[in-house]
Amino acid sequence: MNTKTNDKFNATTKMSEGGSTVYLSGELDLSVAPDFRLVMEPLVGNSEIDLIVNMKELTYIDSTGIGILLSILKARHGMKANFAVEEVPAQIQKLFDMTGIAKFFQAQKNSQ
Amino acid sequence: MNSEVQRVTLSLPASAEYVDIVRLNLYGIASKMGFSYEEIEDMKVAVSEACNNSVLYAYGQKGGMVEVVFEVAGESLSITVRDEGESFDGVGTAGNRTLHDKDLNEVQVGGLGFYLMEALMDEVNVTNVTGKGTVVTLIKRLARSEEHV
Repeated sequence: MNTKTNDKFNATTKMSEGGSTVYLSGELDLSVAPDFRLVMEPLVGNSEIDLIVNMKELTYIDSTGIGILLSILKARHGMKANFAVEEVPAQIQKLFDMTGIAKFFQAQKNSQ
Repeated sequence: MNSEVQRVTLSLPASAEYVDIVRLNLYGIASKMGFSYEEIEDMKVAVSEACNNSVLYAYGQKGGMVEVVFEVAGESLSITVRDEGESFDGVGTAGNRTLHDKDLNEVQVGGLGFYLMEALMDEVNVTNVTGKGTVVTLIKRLARSEEHV
């Protein structure tokens, strides 16, 4: 289990059969971007698992956070491995729709 | 409220750890003015992107300061983010920076910040003076007509 704790941001990984879900809470911004990368790094390279990020408790994301998600999408796409987000709060989904990253998550869902 | 402009000024180190302080101040001021939850969330993102640019690009490895000025003028809130570092590229090309028309293989990470500022605010002005820093002004107007919920 890989947990990164911070006053304002937290990422906790839970492993299950065939998959890993990373639960985010708090604010994912420039200051905690290195923490988030550190948690994701060992998981992204493992093409055997389904990788999911749960955003239920995430209250804020900036373009740095969206950029990290995009680089994970690219890496996983190259490996033909899954990467999905779940329980995305409305305000964050709005940013995903505006920037256009939403369609990449959608495309993945459809290709399964 | 009178029509006089009221100012709140913050001066912060150009460091990522302080950007949330700007968001907290924004929240206090914008909610006092009567902006909706969604409008405040939009402004939080836009203001943070402006601050991120100063933190990332203004001073390189050496430190500097970022000044954030909130101007409350009756029906609108203007937020100015100013640094005195190197100016950064990519201003004014926001239209090309979303991912909508792109394939995952061809997208580049980065460049979404300016697009978000323009999409989330009513007005965005960026002034770059080479060697003298960058000034970003973000304006949001109160939409009273939509507030009958």
